[in-house]
Amino acid sequence: MNRIPVDSSNISSIGFDEDSNTLEVEFRSGAIYQYFDVPLAVYQDFLDSPSKGQYYAQHIKGYYRFVKV
Amino acid sequence: MAKSNSKRKMQSKSTYLGTIQDVIGTSVSVSLGNEALSGLTYVDGEGYRIGQIGSFVKIPIGYIDLFGIVTQVGSSAAPEKHDKNQVNGNRWLTIQLIGEGQRNGNFERGISQYPTIGDEVHLVSESDLKRIYGQPDKPYFVKIGHIAGSESISALVDVNKLITRHSAVVGTTGSGKSTTVASLLSALSNSKNYPSARIIILDIHGEYSHAFRGQANIFKVNADNRNQENELYIPFWALNFDELMQVSFGDFSNEKDRSALLERMLSYKEKTISVYPKKGVSKETLSVDSPIPFSLSQLWFDLWNEVFFTYYSDGGKKPVRENWAFEKDKDNRDIVGDAAKAIPPRFKPVKNVASDPEKIQYGTSTLNIRGQLETLGSKFRIPRYDFLFHPGEYSPDLDGKVVKDLDSFIGVLLRVLYEGLFWSRRLSQGGRHRPLLVVMEEAHNYLNENFKGIASNVVQRIVKEGRKYGIGAMIVSQRPSEINSTILSQCGTFFALRLANVTDRGHISGVLPDNLDGLTSMLPILRTGEAIIIGESVKLPMRTIIEAPPKDKRPDSQDPIVYDEKPTEDSLQPGGWGIPMEPNPNFEEFLEVWRAQNPLPSKVFKGEGKIKTLTKKKES
Repeated sequence: MNRIPVDSSNISSIGFDEDSNTLEVEFRSGAIYQYFDVPLAVYQDFLDSPSKGQYYAQHIKGYYRFVKV
Repeated sequence: MAKSNSKRKMQSKSTYLGTIQDVIGTSVSVSLGNEALSGLTYVDGEGYRIGQIGSFVKIPIGYIDLFGIVTQVGSSAAPEKHDKNQVNGNRWLTIQLIGEGQRNGNFERGISQYPTIGDEVHLVSESDLKRIYGQPDKPYFVKIGHIAGSESISALVDVNKLITRHSAVVGTTGSGKSTTVASLLSALSNSKNYPSARIIILDIHGEYSHAFRGQANIFKVNADNRNQENELYIPFWALNFDELMQVSFGDFSNEKDRSALLERMLSYKEKTISVYPKKGVSKETLSVDSPIPFSLSQLWFDLWNEVFFTYYSDGGKKPVRENWAFEKDKDNRDIVGDAAKAIPPRFKPVKNVASDPEKIQYGTSTLNIRGQLETLGSKFRIPRYDFLFHPGEYSPDLDGKVVKDLDSFIGVLLRVLYEGLFWSRRLSQGGRHRPLLVVMEEAHNYLNENFKGIASNVVQRIVKEGRKYGIGAMIVSQRPSEINSTILSQCGTFFALRLANVTDRGHISGVLPDNLDGLTSMLPILRTGEAIIIGESVKLPMRTIIEAPPKDKRPDSQDPIVYDEKPTEDSLQPGGWGIPMEPNPNFEEFLEVWRAQNPLPSKVFKGEGKIKTLTKKKES
C-alpha cells in the first residue's frame, strides 16, 4: 500500500484504502500493521492530527482489529 | 647474584602479582606478593584490580610469556596440605594456563613448557592485551565489539576459523543472542570486505528478515512480495529416496514394500530422462537418489489404484482395469479421481451375496501400504506441505508452526545444500572456493538429543565433514543442553552469553574447546550483550561487549508484549494488556486464519491503496 510519510516519534508512515477500509501503519521499528474496517474520516483525522502518536493511541489502538503484515 | 638482582627488578615492576608455589597440570597456585596488598595497582597510569576472576595473568619465563586466567582467589586457592597460618594471610590465586606468547607478540594456544615454583606472575596490562588481540588491519579478522573493561581493544574474530571450524552462540533468552548473531552477520556480510560472502540463515521465527532486508534474499513459505520476499520451494524430487519416503509415505512395515516403492520411483525418473534428457545423468547412471523431476502425485495415484481397487468378479472376470468396480457419482460416471489434484478414485466395497449376481472382490495387490498412501494423499492436500509437494501454490507459513515438520523441512533444506556443495566442490561456485556459512537459529528445536530426524543427521554430517567441502555451521540456541552433544562438541568457537541454567552451563563447559572452569563460572553473571568468546577463532578467550548493530539492523524481538514500557504516544506496539479491547470483539479473521492455516487473513490489502473521496484540506 502506498503510505504517506508522517512526522512522529513512533510512526513513520500511514496509508489507507477506501474500498476495503484498510488503514496501514508503519512504525519507526519497521513493523507494518493493517487495521480493518477503519472509516475514511478516522484516517483523515489521523493524517491531520498534530501528534500522530497521540491520535493513534487515543482513537485507533483498541478500537480496530489489526494484523501484522 | 646477578639473577637475584634481576629478580628484584622484576618484582619492583608495578605489574607484579605474586610468585608460583605449586603447579599441577595446567593449574597453578600463586601466593600474592606483599607489594600487591592494596588490591589496586597502576600500570602506565591505568588502574587495575588485582585478583579479578576471569582476568589474565602472564608468567614470563625466558624468552616467552605464559598466559593464564585467574579462576580462584583466596584461601581455598591455597594448595592442599598448605599451612594456612601464614604471615600474609591466605592470599592465593589459582590460574589456568592457556597459551604462550613470544616476546615479539605472537600468541599461540597451548604451552611448550611449564612454569615452576618461584616464577613470577604478572598482571596483563592493556598494552599486553593489545599485543595478543590486536591485528585489526588483517581483513580476515572481523570486529564484533570490544574487550570488556578495555574499550580501546577491539574484539576480533578470525573469519577463517569461525566458519570452517563451526561455531555456537548460546545464551538465555534476553541475553543478547540475536544481537550477537546480527552483529556477526552484519560484519560478515559487509560487501566491501567480503564481496562473495555466502551465508544462509535458517530463521525460524522471521527475526532477521527485517534486519537484513536489502542485503539478503529472503525466502519464505508464503512470501510477501511487498517485503521483497521470495517464495521458498524445496522440490521433493531433489531429496534422496529415504528422505523423500520419510516426508511423504512415512515408514514401511516391511522391506518388500520399500523396495517396490524404490523400483517404481526409479522407473518414473527413467521415464523423465527418456523424454527430457538431462546432462550428467543417463539411463545407466541413473539412481533412485538422482535429483530428477517426476510426478509424485502420479506415482501415488497409480499405487492407490493398484492397492485399493476392487473388481467385478462375477462370471470369472479378470481383475483388469475394465472390470474395476468404481463408485458412481450423481451423474452415473465412474469416480476415477485425479492424479494432479491428488483426488483418489473411489471403489465399491466387496460384495458377495448369494441373491445378487453382481460379485465384487478385492484387488490382487500384495503391497501393504494402504496407510502410507492415505497419509501421503492427505499431505498433498495439506497446504503446510505445498512448498514441498506443490511448489508455487498457496502455502502456509513456516514460522515455527509445527516443530515436527520443521525438522524435516530444515533437514531437507540442509540436505539439498550439502549435496549440491559436495558435488560442486571443484567448481568456482562450490563450497571449497566459496564457503557457505549456515546459521541455525533455535537449533534446539531440531538438533536435540533424542531426535533421529533428518535434520540431526545432516547437521551432524555438516559439522563433521562440512569443513572439507566448505560448509560451516553456526548453531544458535538458548537451550544448549538439548542439543546433541556430538554436534556441539564439534564447534570450534563458542560465543557464550549469559546462561543461568545449571544444566545448560554444565553442557557447555563439557564441550568447550578450552578447559576453563573459571570462565564458565562467569556465565550466569554476564551482562546483556556481553559474551565470552572461546575457541579457535580467537587468540585468547575473551570477555567481549558485543557491539549492537544500528537500530534498523537489529532483529525483531520475539517476546510478546504484555505491557509496553514506553508511554503510549511513543509506543511501537499496537497491542498489550494496557490497551482496551475493541468495543465489539469480532473473531472473524481469527477463525479464518485458523481454518486456512495461514497467519495472514485474506482481508490483508495487497494493492496500492486508493482514496476516491477528496481528502480534507490539511489544517495548519
